Amino acid sequence: MIASPPPPALLMTKAERRRWLLASWRYAVPAMTSIFLLMLMLAPLPLVVPVMPHLGLLAVLAWAMLQPGLMPPWVAFGVGALADLLFGQPLGVNATLFAVAASVMRLLDRRVGRHGHSFDWAVATVVMLGVMACTGPLMALAGRPVPMAPMLWQAPASLMAWPLVVRLAAAIQRRLVASMPGWRHG
Amino acid sequence: MDWTQTPRRSSAMRREQNLALVSAVISGAVMAAGLLLLLLARVNPETASSIRTMATDVAAPAWGVVRAPIDGMARLVAGIGDYFGAVSRAQALETQLDLANARLRQSRVQARELVQLKRLMAVREPKRQVIVTTRIAAAASGSVVRTAMLAVGAAAGVSRDMPVIGADGLVGRTQDVGQVSSLVLLITDPLSRVPVIIERTGQAGLAAGRNQPTLVLIDRVGPDLPLRVGDRIVTSGDGGVYPPGVPVGVVIEVRNDGPVIRPAQPPLGAGFVTVETAWLQMPAAAATGPLFDAPVPVEARTRGAPKPRLRSAEPGADPATEPTAAAAPIVPVP
Repeated sequence: MIASPPPPALLMTKAERRRWLLASWRYAVPAMTSIFLLMLMLAPLPLVVPVMPHLGLLAVLAWAMLQPGLMPPWVAFGVGALADLLFGQPLGVNATLFAVAASVMRLLDRRVGRHGHSFDWAVATVVMLGVMACTGPLMALAGRPVPMAPMLWQAPASLMAWPLVVRLAAAIQRRLVASMPGWRHG
Repeated sequence: MDWTQTPRRSSAMRREQNLALVSAVISGAVMAAGLLLLLLARVNPETASSIRTMATDVAAPAWGVVRAPIDGMARLVAGIGDYFGAVSRAQALETQLDLANARLRQSRVQARELVQLKRLMAVREPKRQVIVTTRIAAAASGSVVRTAMLAVGAAAGVSRDMPVIGADGLVGRTQDVGQVSSLVLLITDPLSRVPVIIERTGQAGLAAGRNQPTLVLIDRVGPDLPLRVGDRIVTSGDGGVYPPGVPVGVVIEVRNDGPVIRPAQPPLGAGFVTVETAWLQMPAAAATGPLFDAPVPVEARTRGAPKPRLRSAEPGADPATEPTAAAAPIVPVP
């Protein structure tokens, strides 16, 4: 759950220390993937209804499931805050929801464990629907009430997009591990 | 007594438990911070404005670069499509042109009459001024809000609350403006309210977005004249942001709880959009303090209140009445 510590810096040789520092960008990969998917959501497609899946949320959920140590709630908070800024929502709506979603995923992981792809999909769906249901009240709390009926478009689209996102995250994780055999990723 | 001392936790276990505790505390703090931010946004919606423009300043140019080759491909495909069926389209256009020419001759006469009448009535009208023409660089299409980004900002002369108009009709207005990007509130956003009139009857109302492809007409004023399907809705110019006469949409369903409008310009299907100056700009005036006869407390000055104007120091003050200023009738503030 929590990334294991690196070997004591003072005991490393100079080459080892340099290698360790150069390898540490991998800690930011889950966050960067999520931000990339957020940017992808901003594609200027001529969609009349919000059918664009909530890729940012899906990425946060997928990483919280695959690598809980690299997607702790505070990283999810940062990704959510960026989503708020980019979408023009009141700052704090997605930030709070992403952080809560990441910690819920972490708790569920500890309680019920992992039982294969379909089970994970179901768990992610429940969390995702919970987040979408909470979006309306939080927007109202921030003083901008919105109708939630159009979210009925986004929920199934996000549901369908889950396997793609989780597969992308898994592929990235495989590449990461393969690129640095000694890398301790938590 | 077989009571034994509890075994000492191993240092690895202790470390694990401490870290779990710390991470739980951090998680809780982060969520509390999120809720605090929400309340802050409720009290002052402008809080995050400066950070938001920083984020959009990065995102909008990035999408502007990414979409350039896609636009090129689309134009190529459209060019090939245009090549076929050019003859029939030309014939259709010629007939349309004849009709339009006839209408133009008629309206030229009316335009001259209108100019004369306006001169007689001494009507002064502000002019519409295009600031910049651009494409929509990015848009939040998968969210509870409907916003878009333009890759132009304050550097090009764009500022807050300027109308964004497409070729066929209204698109939205600028909300937050960064140096090279601006966030546009589309007319389909739930927060958007456009002052409109119904072209046929002249009745005023508001076109409100609701995060759906259509708008709804609310708050109609005056006698409730029945609407017809196909009535054109245009901006009225009230409120001073949108210039009058810009097409907003067409009534497609007449309902008692709010007629449904189809936007004339689907906000995200717009090719190029223009950003114009606000129709009636608020004059920039410095805040002036009220007229006082008595000296103001020092605290008011040190806390940044506008400088008070003593009545005796005003240009029109009458020296004779000055000693009895408190008893004098209240002079209207210019």
